[in-house]
Amino acid sequence: MGGANKVKNKLGATVYLRRNLGKTMPLIGVIILAVMLIAGIVSLINSIPLSIKTIYSYSRNYVAVTPRGNALLTPLLRKSIEQGSPVEIDRLMVIRGTDIEVKSIVGNWPFVVLGLEQSDMDYYLKRMKAKVLDGRKPAVGEPEVMISEKLARNLNLKLGSVIQKPTDSDNYSPQEVKVVGIAESEFWFAFGSVEYQRENHFPPIDALLVFAKNPTDQKRLDDWTTATLKGENARVFTYKELEIQADTMFNILYQILNVVIGTLVVVITLMMGMLMNIFLSQRVQEFGLLQALGYTKRSLIMRVFWETTVFVIGGWVLGVLVAWGLLNVVKVTLMDPRSFALDTLDKWAYLYSLPVPIAIFAVSILTVFAKFKNFDPVGVVERRLV
Amino acid sequence: MIDLKSVSLIYQDHGKEVFACKDIDLGVQPGEFLGILGPSGSGKSSLLYVMSGLKVPTKGSVEWLSRELGKMGDQERAEIRLREFGFVFQYPFLIGYLTALENVLLAFPAEDRRADAEKFLIELGLQDQMHRYPYQMSGGQKQRVCVARALLGSPKVVFADEPTASLDHKSGRAVMDLLIQNRGDGALVVVTHDPVMLEGADRIIRMEDGEIAPKNA
Repeated sequence: MGGANKVKNKLGATVYLRRNLGKTMPLIGVIILAVMLIAGIVSLINSIPLSIKTIYSYSRNYVAVTPRGNALLTPLLRKSIEQGSPVEIDRLMVIRGTDIEVKSIVGNWPFVVLGLEQSDMDYYLKRMKAKVLDGRKPAVGEPEVMISEKLARNLNLKLGSVIQKPTDSDNYSPQEVKVVGIAESEFWFAFGSVEYQRENHFPPIDALLVFAKNPTDQKRLDDWTTATLKGENARVFTYKELEIQADTMFNILYQILNVVIGTLVVVITLMMGMLMNIFLSQRVQEFGLLQALGYTKRSLIMRVFWETTVFVIGGWVLGVLVAWGLLNVVKVTLMDPRSFALDTLDKWAYLYSLPVPIAIFAVSILTVFAKFKNFDPVGVVERRLV
Repeated sequence: MIDLKSVSLIYQDHGKEVFACKDIDLGVQPGEFLGILGPSGSGKSSLLYVMSGLKVPTKGSVEWLSRELGKMGDQERAEIRLREFGFVFQYPFLIGYLTALENVLLAFPAEDRRADAEKFLIELGLQDQMHRYPYQMSGGQKQRVCVARALLGSPKVVFADEPTASLDHKSGRAVMDLLIQNRGDGALVVVTHDPVMLEGADRIIRMEDGEIAPKNA
């Protein structure tokens, strides 16, 4: 039965492809390489905004407010938020902050070491869904921090490592600030004693972190705070704002990327079009014979249509699989050890590669139509055309 | 069965009309073995392609079972070629990536005739070639497979255009014997320049300059 089916499908869409691997594999290889290249480039470029969103994703858990120009505004801002908030506030922390730098694939990014009251530290860990892996919380007034495991990996820090010091202008503190605790969390964070920061860091401005009681209300609280404090002497930091910044700051880069990929698709399509033309020219004898025997032009065009469909879809799927495999290798060997973000299943990376098979398919089908338009099977069987 | 009435096939050559066939009246009867003899360029192959619907005549008409081929669409003519006719060409055209058996089955794209094809190839003494690819066969063996492809399904007419031209005499004779002995009730139209290959023909016409030559010529 299997044998009968095999013969019955003698001109099935995969027969030519399977039995002429020497001819079809190089063409499929070109599609695989093109898809891999495009998906790889887009995925790596998308990892930049993804990194920003990942590094600063802690801001999904609260809205941060800092006064502008006048340190005495903080209590007023606090009052305004507490009285006007449209959602129930669970905790409002008065904090300080100092800068350090974290690493990304495009250089260093600023990151805040929060200065928290002792009474706020456990709550902060809870809202960060953090579990202390090692060490303890920073002591009152001491140059100590607790950091998340992701941050520890990024900066290659362990318990006892120095995160800020007087000689490091990018990670400055007048005393050596040591890591005394590491916590497991999906978020990046670092916090120390607010008393230490008040004693040692400038400017002397307290900021606010406002947590909605119900985490699902946080976005509403963020939006309300942004709208309410618009035009006031305050700066509001929300995750939404971060997302907008991350998505828009690379607009020009994405425009350049579109031009590069567009050019790549055109070049590959032209090359594949020429190869497909040669490829089909080598089969003129086959098409002439079949037409002479009584196969209609339509059936032959449909045959090439299905062969091309299998060929380009197969090439694209293989290209996606190879790209996914390679991106996973890059993620495991290069990105994960430094906590760099890379989405190996980034749908846009794979969607960007779709013009390759579509353009190759269109050129191939147009080539076939052009060839069959005035095709003379008699010329073939009389060997005038081949 | 096939009736040609005042058939002309005209080519344009640098703006000049060239008659490949000129005013031909000819009929093919069921079961008849018709030989078309003539030198190269005499129009015998063109006549065969017109008779078989592969070419549409410039003038005149070709009727198949009283239906004019020239008035049919490409699809209908193709259907008749596939269902009613068999073809053997000068060169043993086989599809290179299909086995002999699969090449023979090309005559039946929509049917599973594997058992019939195997039986037929065995009858024709081609059992050893059945699962071979064309590159594994000699020219004579390939042409025999082409004959098997043309004869499978007992077509009403088999058209053979110089079927022995690319073969040595012995292989050519073997191919002709195969065609003649296995055509069943079907008619056989053979175009050749070699009169020896038309031994046993019911009728032989001679082509000269696109026209059928007088019988005594």
